[in-house]
Amino acid sequence: MSALDPRAQDGAKPGKKKILVPKVENGHETMVEIEVDDVEGPQWGPRDSMRLVNHELVRVDAVDKVTGRARYTHDVRLPGMLYAKFLGCPIAHAEVTVDLGAAKKVPGVVEARVVREGEVKFVGQPVAVVAAKTREAVEDGLRAIVLGVKPLPFAVTREQSLAANAPEVNRRGNASKPNEDGDPEAVAKAFEGCAAVIEATYEMPTQHHACLETHGAVVDVPTNDAATVYHSTQATYASANEFKGPLKVKEVEVVNEHMGGGFGSKFEAGVEGRVASELARDLKAPIHLMLSRRDEFLCAGNRSGCVQSVKLGGDAQGKLVAMQSSIDRLGGLGGGSHAGLPYIYEVATSARTMRSVYTHLDANRAMRAPGHPQASFGMESAVDELAYALGVDLVEIRKRNVGDVHRRQLDRVAREIGWNEHPHKTKPDLSDATTKVGIGFGLSVWGGGGHPECRVTVEISPDGGVRASVGSQDLGTGVRTYVTAIVAEELGLPMSGVTARIGRTSYGPANASGGSTTSASLAPAVKHAAFNARKAFAEALAKTLKSDASEIVFDVQGVYDARSKRRLAWKDACATLGPAGISAIGEWQANLASNGIHGVQAAKVRVDTRTGELKVLKMVCMQDCGLVLNRTGARSQIFGGMVQALSYALFEQRVVDPDLGIAMNANFEDYKLAASLEIPEMVAILDDEDTRGVIGIAEATVVPGHSAIANAVHNACGVRLRSLPLTSDKLLLGLAGLKKG
Amino acid sequence: MGDPKRSGVDLSRRGFLKSAGGLAAGGALGESALSAANSGLLGDGVERLSGEVEIELTLNGAKRKVKVEPRTTLLSALRERIEPPLSGTKEVCDMGSCGACTVHVDQKPAYACLLLAVDCVGKSITTIEGLAKGDELHPVQKAFCEHDALMCGFCTPGFVMALSACLDAKPEATLDELKEACAGNVCRCGTYPHIFEAAVAAQRAKQGAKR
Ligand code: FES
Ligand code: FES
Repeated sequence: MSALDPRAQDGAKPGKKKILVPKVENGHETMVEIEVDDVEGPQWGPRDSMRLVNHELVRVDAVDKVTGRARYTHDVRLPGMLYAKFLGCPIAHAEVTVDLGAAKKVPGVVEARVVREGEVKFVGQPVAVVAAKTREAVEDGLRAIVLGVKPLPFAVTREQSLAANAPEVNRRGNASKPNEDGDPEAVAKAFEGCAAVIEATYEMPTQHHACLETHGAVVDVPTNDAATVYHSTQATYASANEFKGPLKVKEVEVVNEHMGGGFGSKFEAGVEGRVASELARDLKAPIHLMLSRRDEFLCAGNRSGCVQSVKLGGDAQGKLVAMQSSIDRLGGLGGGSHAGLPYIYEVATSARTMRSVYTHLDANRAMRAPGHPQASFGMESAVDELAYALGVDLVEIRKRNVGDVHRRQLDRVAREIGWNEHPHKTKPDLSDATTKVGIGFGLSVWGGGGHPECRVTVEISPDGGVRASVGSQDLGTGVRTYVTAIVAEELGLPMSGVTARIGRTSYGPANASGGSTTSASLAPAVKHAAFNARKAFAEALAKTLKSDASEIVFDVQGVYDARSKRRLAWKDACATLGPAGISAIGEWQANLASNGIHGVQAAKVRVDTRTGELKVLKMVCMQDCGLVLNRTGARSQIFGGMVQALSYALFEQRVVDPDLGIAMNANFEDYKLAASLEIPEMVAILDDEDTRGVIGIAEATVVPGHSAIANAVHNACGVRLRSLPLTSDKLLLGLAGLKKG
Repeated sequence: MGDPKRSGVDLSRRGFLKSAGGLAAGGALGESALSAANSGLLGDGVERLSGEVEIELTLNGAKRKVKVEPRTTLLSALRERIEPPLSGTKEVCDMGSCGACTVHVDQKPAYACLLLAVDCVGKSITTIEGLAKGDELHPVQKAFCEHDALMCGFCTPGFVMALSACLDAKPEATLDELKEACAGNVCRCGTYPHIFEAAVAAQRAKQGAKR
């Protein structure tokens, strides 16, 4: 639905209009109606007239990042600061007592505290904290804590949770009441007319965000009812409120200059923020409490797994006719997320049931496109299976059941991956060859629209300096860079003429970075602020030059007054301003943003049928996202999404021992991420036929890559892997099964 | 790079000293490790490892005095003990499996989380802060900026140090060799295609400079 949906405009007050915008909370998007001014505002203008925006930009903070100067929360050092770390519960479900006597006596340890006693409901849940002068003393202190752990019956797998005598995980039942959609009887009837019907169950494990900078905060000692908190957060502006309570202060300044990833897991202050605040307040010492890598794996969120059973039928041409699905979301103690089936495909008649199955594991959190990679895997696998059953080309079946944009992108991506000359378009390669190459596809959608939350200030000072300030944050997406580019473009300045200031609460309201909403929320407000600053500057100059504001032009050569035909260098023009200079505010402008993006990805893989080795050879992504703010940065985002999906396809899964209830791979040695040797040739194509306003790109790019890879494996050798990760043992078992027939 | 022979680390000793899991209650630590430090038994049977010694490290060309414990890693010495701290080197896994803490020790890449600070006395250590010559960036740093080979930037110092060590030792390194040189580094943001572009550009710049 467009951000300017006419259906929403009824009943607005004069001079106002009502529009629908996406609202994202914790990464989950819903559409809400808001009222905005119906006035002429700034425009992006034609793309070919742009000088900086929509170009290949070098990040303005790149030098800080390659020289080690960029300061992350982990790097903050304050005088008298104490380091603190948690001790986590070693098993999934237990009655815990904490004895701190010995820990408190360890030299260097300043404080040891209980974080939680009594029933502990997941492995890794923090039960105690130690604060000490050195990291070594923290470790000694943690080792000296004596935990009394009385194991309680636990359920860490879906099967354990649903078993007859399962221990209670959730008071309202270990499975939630299923949410039902569609008419199963109509679907049953529709299957009767299908040319082919497939039935299968697809499973996905829990994936971790694995941010390289762990969660945490450095909390300074509160003074005079105010405090400064350095926080690795996706919500610099909003998270200030969360610290006020535990710090017992009225004002909190959150500082977040740079952060090492978030991916949806860093919206809240969390137990680490609360405990760090309490320690700083009570001990009157700054506290550095960043999660250890193990804690990060066990108590900082994850992407929920799922089990999805699908029955899908189509007609002889590949039109999808009927679908019945049932989905279990596996979000540990959380509800899990799943975007629902038939996801983005049009199926004439469909019905589904969906529920959450709870286990004694850390609750899931939003993770880049929550619920979408899961839905993608279920749907793309099923569509693929049906295509082979019907003998329809894998690209054709998709084109028959999606909209125009996806169709156009499918053609382009198919060409780029080599589909047109690929010999196995309707059947997998079942020859005796020992190495085989296959191709697979997957599609994505996402909202990525904006909403009015940001307030941007653009200041022009008499010495010629320009700065733009807003309390937003950069998760790695390049926010400072596009803020700089938009302001510089509007004022006719080079990138170096503008300083973008973000990452502080006091820089002004900004939305939390979730659901790819940052660009579409922030960029319009930046443009508006720059536009207002330019207008105010033109008016001030018009007075000085006895001209008219409409005659003043700002371009790369400086300032030009068309009336007097006088040209002023930027600095000289600024020098005419009073000591206060210009200060202008900008807010969100609906006409500068849009909503709803599409992508298509393809993967080419090589399978060695002797060893089961799977190598991804090439991946292609075509993605639209409205006006691209920074083309290089957008490609980085696309690559990033593809790499994370490839990593999920090949390696990633949380492993918890079902008999012992202990975590088996809460570290980077055993939880493998794709790295340089696994990265295939990658092609990112920006869909320039999209002429809309700004839309966020991040989420959509992570949605379909693993599905495309799994589909490519089947295309290569005839083995359908219905659970991730796509490991060699599963592949070899599948190949052996094929041989037996 | 995690190769103990190349980085000169005694892995078993370090693993023993740092006793990874914080889960064991009252874990006992043996005595043989305590030769250079004070040791003593506290009440409750908790044995402690502590006692600081002052050592001198050669960091980015300058001699720097720092107080460390025998078990203090080079990474911890850089980030937490030296004044002012050198926090450009990142801690991500603290167990040699991510490459974020890569520094140069006598021109060779090494994981600072796998080195004991006391073992680095007398060696020449370069960190990310010392890689540029004044304002002149190393070709790898420059190429990383130009090719957008970074997003959040938390892995960046490690990648830059791994690739610069490779290219400084072998300016004609091939793309495959460059991929191998950073095979132990992890980037969660997934910047790899741009990292490879940057590595090749830096290689060309180095070759050009040689001619
Ligand atoms: S922090 Fe040293 S290798 Fe990960
Ligand atoms: S740039 Fe974020 S981890 Fe590499």
